[in-house]
Amino acid sequence: MALRNRIFSTDHRTIARQYFFLSLIAVIFGVVLSILMRFHLVYPAAQVKWFEWLWPVKASGGVMTPELYLSLMTLHGTIMVFFVLTLAPLNAFGNLVLPQQLGATQMAFPRLNMLSFWTTVVSFLLLIASFTCQDGGPLSGWTAYPPLSALGAIAGPGQGLGQTLWFFSIGVFCIAATLTSINFIATVIELRDPAMRMMQMPLPCWNWFVTAILSLLSFPVLLAAGILILLDRLAGTGFFLPSGGGSPLLWQHLFWFFGHPEVYIAILPGMGIVSHIVSVFSRRPIFGYRAMVYSTIAIAVLGLLVWGHHMFISGLSPYSAIAFSVLTMAIGAPSAVKTLNWIATLWGSRPELNTAMLFCLGFVSIFVTGGLSGLFLGQPQIDAYFHDTYFVVAHFHMIMGIAALFGIFAATFYWFPLMFGRKLNERLGKLHFYLTFILAYGTFVPMHFAGFAGNPRRYADFTTFEFLAPVLPLQKGITHSAFTLAAVQVIFLANLFWSMRRGEVIVWTGDTETWQRSHTPTR
Amino acid sequence: MATLTHPDSLKSDGAPPPFFPEPPTGGGGDDSDRNRPERGNSRSAAFIGIVVMMCASVMTFSALLSAMVVRRGLNGTDWHHLTLPSILWWNTGILILSSVAIDVARRLLRRGRRQEFNYWWTAGTLMGTWFLIGQIVAWKQLAEHGFTLIGNQHSAFFYVLTWAHAAHVVGALVGVFYVEYRALRFRLGPAGRTWVDVSALFWHFLDVLWLFLMAIFVFWA
Ligand code: HEM
Ligand SMILES: [Cu+2]
Repeated sequence: MALRNRIFSTDHRTIARQYFFLSLIAVIFGVVLSILMRFHLVYPAAQVKWFEWLWPVKASGGVMTPELYLSLMTLHGTIMVFFVLTLAPLNAFGNLVLPQQLGATQMAFPRLNMLSFWTTVVSFLLLIASFTCQDGGPLSGWTAYPPLSALGAIAGPGQGLGQTLWFFSIGVFCIAATLTSINFIATVIELRDPAMRMMQMPLPCWNWFVTAILSLLSFPVLLAAGILILLDRLAGTGFFLPSGGGSPLLWQHLFWFFGHPEVYIAILPGMGIVSHIVSVFSRRPIFGYRAMVYSTIAIAVLGLLVWGHHMFISGLSPYSAIAFSVLTMAIGAPSAVKTLNWIATLWGSRPELNTAMLFCLGFVSIFVTGGLSGLFLGQPQIDAYFHDTYFVVAHFHMIMGIAALFGIFAATFYWFPLMFGRKLNERLGKLHFYLTFILAYGTFVPMHFAGFAGNPRRYADFTTFEFLAPVLPLQKGITHSAFTLAAVQVIFLANLFWSMRRGEVIVWTGDTETWQRSHTPTR
Repeated sequence: MATLTHPDSLKSDGAPPPFFPEPPTGGGGDDSDRNRPERGNSRSAAFIGIVVMMCASVMTFSALLSAMVVRRGLNGTDWHHLTLPSILWWNTGILILSSVAIDVARRLLRRGRRQEFNYWWTAGTLMGTWFLIGQIVAWKQLAEHGFTLIGNQHSAFFYVLTWAHAAHVVGALVGVFYVEYRALRFRLGPAGRTWVDVSALFWHFLDVLWLFLMAIFVFWA
C-alpha cells in the first residue's frame, strides 16, 4: 500500500514536495530551452550535430529553423509562467507551510488537493506532448494570439496538432488552478486557528490567500477563452477570426484579463515569503503589518484592472489607454509601500545574512530594478516604441522571472528542513546566491539597451538587420552571461540533492520561527 | 501557537527521512492529537468550498457573456436574431420545479422525515435529468432551423453558453444522484446531510444562472 499512498497522497506536505519536484523538472527543462534559444540568437547559422539528431526535420543540417526557435520560445515561456512561477510559490510552498502557519493540520480538502496535483501533471504531459508533434511544436508564444493561433494547421507549421494540444494543456491547467484556489481559500477561512483573527495571520498566509483569490478570478476567464478558441480551431466557429465575424482583439482582452493577474499570482507569494524571512532574520516584527496587508490587497485589486496596458498599440481607444495607464502607474504606490516596509524592517537591525535572507535582499533589489522599467512601459507613448522589443523581455524577466525565482530560492533555503528534515548547505548556498545575483543582472540589464536600439523580440534571427549590427556584441555578451547563469544553477541542484540525503538534521519549532539544531548526529 | 515539529525529524534513529514519507498518523494528513473536530472536514468547509466554486463558475460565464457583448457591439449587420425553440420554456419550468422539489426535500430531511425526503429528492433528480434531455432536444430543434454552431455568431454564443451550463448541470447531477443513491438505501448519515445541503445549494445556483441566461437571450440578444 505504501507506494500507492505516497504517490496518490492527500498529505499536504507530500503534495507540496510533489509540486516542488514537478516545478524543478519544469524549470530545468525551461532553462535548457532558453540556452538553446540564446545560442541560436547569436549564432543562427551554426551547424550543431545533435540539433539534427534531436530534430531531424526542424534542424536538418544542424541549423535550427525559425519555427523550431519559436516553438522553443513558446515552450520556455509557457513552462516558466505556468509550471514554475505559478506552481512553486503558491502550490508547493503554500501547501507546505499554509496549514501550519494557520495552526491547522491539513488543507481543507485533502482529496481535492491530490486531484489538483494530478490534473496539473496531466496538463504538463499535454504540454510536453505538444512539443513533440510531427508538424512541429506550438509557436504562438505563451500569449497565443489569434488569428494565427485560431486557424489550425493551414496557418503554418506548428499550428496544427501542436497548438491544439497546447490549448488543451492550458485548459486543463486552468481547471487545476481553480481547484487549488478553492482549497486555499477554504483553508484560510475555515481552518485558521479559532484564536487567530484575519489581521493576525502571518503575512505569507495573507499573500497566499490573496493570490488564491486572484487565481479564482482569472483562471476561469482563461478557461472560457480557451474553450472559445478551441471551438474556432476544431469546430470551425469564428469567435476570434475576422473571416468568421469575430475579433482577434477579443482574445487579447480575455487573455490579458487573466495574464496580468497571473504575473501577480507569480510574485505575491514571493512578497509574503520575503516579508516573513526578512522579519525573522532581522529579529524583529515586520514594519507596518497592516500596510503590508492592505498593499497586497491593493495590488491584487489594481492588478485586475490594468490588463489594457498590454494592448496599447493594438488599436485600443486612446481614452481607455489613459485609464489603463493611470491605473498601472497606481500599482507603483502599494509596491513602494512594500519596498519601504522591507527596508524599514531592516533599518538599523543587525540581520543574519544567511542564504535565505540574501535571496530576500536580492528579491527586493531585483523587484525595484524591474519595477522601474514598468513605469516606462506603462505609458502608452513610450510603450509605442518599446512594445515587442527586448526592453519588454528585460522587464518581465527581472520583475517576474528573476524576482519570483529569488522568492522561490529564499523559500527553498528557509523551509527545506520542513520538506526533508535537513538543511541546505549554507556555503554552497551563498556561493550560488552571489553568482546568480551578479549574472542575473548581467544577463537582463543589457537587454534593456538592446530594447533601446529597437531590437525586436520573438525574432529567430536578427543578425541580418543592418540597424542592429551595433547590438550584436551586446547580444553575444548576454548569451555568455546566460550560459554562465544557467551553469551556476548546477551548484543549487548539487546542494539540493546532496542535502536531501546528507544535510545537517535540524528540528523546526514553529513558535519561535527559528531553526534549532538537533543534536542527532548526522551520518 | 503550539510547537510544531516535523514528524520526520522526530525519528529517533536519525535515519535520513524517506523521499516521500508516510503521512502522519490518522490518515488524510491529520495528526490525531491535534484533531479539532469543529474545524476541517466539516460542513462549513464544504459550504465555503461550494460558494468559492460558484464564484469560479460566475467568472467563466462572465467571460463568455462579455465576449458576446463585445461581439454584438462590433457590427450590427450580421447578428442574426435567434428564434428560441419553445421547448426552452418547458425546460425552464422543469428546472424551477426541480429546484423547488429539492428544497422541499432538504427541509423535510431536517425534520427527520426520511421517507418523504426520498420522494421529493427523487422527483427533483428526475426533473433535473429531464431538463438535460430537454436541452438536447432544444439543440436539435435549433439545428433543424438552421441555427448551427458555425456561420452565425449569435447561435454560436447560444450553444457555448448553454453547453457550459449543461456541463455544470451534469456535474451537479452527479452530486444529486449520489445523495439519491444513499437516500434510497437509508444511508444518509450526518456527512450525507452535508452532501444534501451543498448539492441543493449548487442546484439552486444553476437554476438562477439559467434564468439569467434566459433573460439575456429573451430580452437582449
Ligand atoms: C536562464 C534564464 C533565462 C533566459 C536566458 C531566458 C531567455 C529568454 C529568451 C531569449 C526569450 C525569447 C525572447 C523573444 O524572442 O522574444 C524568453 C522569453 C520568455 N521568458 Fe525567458 N529566459 C530565462 C528565464 C525565464 C524565467 C525564470 C521566466 C519566468 C517568468 C521566463 C519567462 C519568459 C517568458 C514569459 C517569455 C516570453 C515567451 C513568449 O514570448 O511567449 N524566462 N526568455
Ligand atoms: Cu500587465
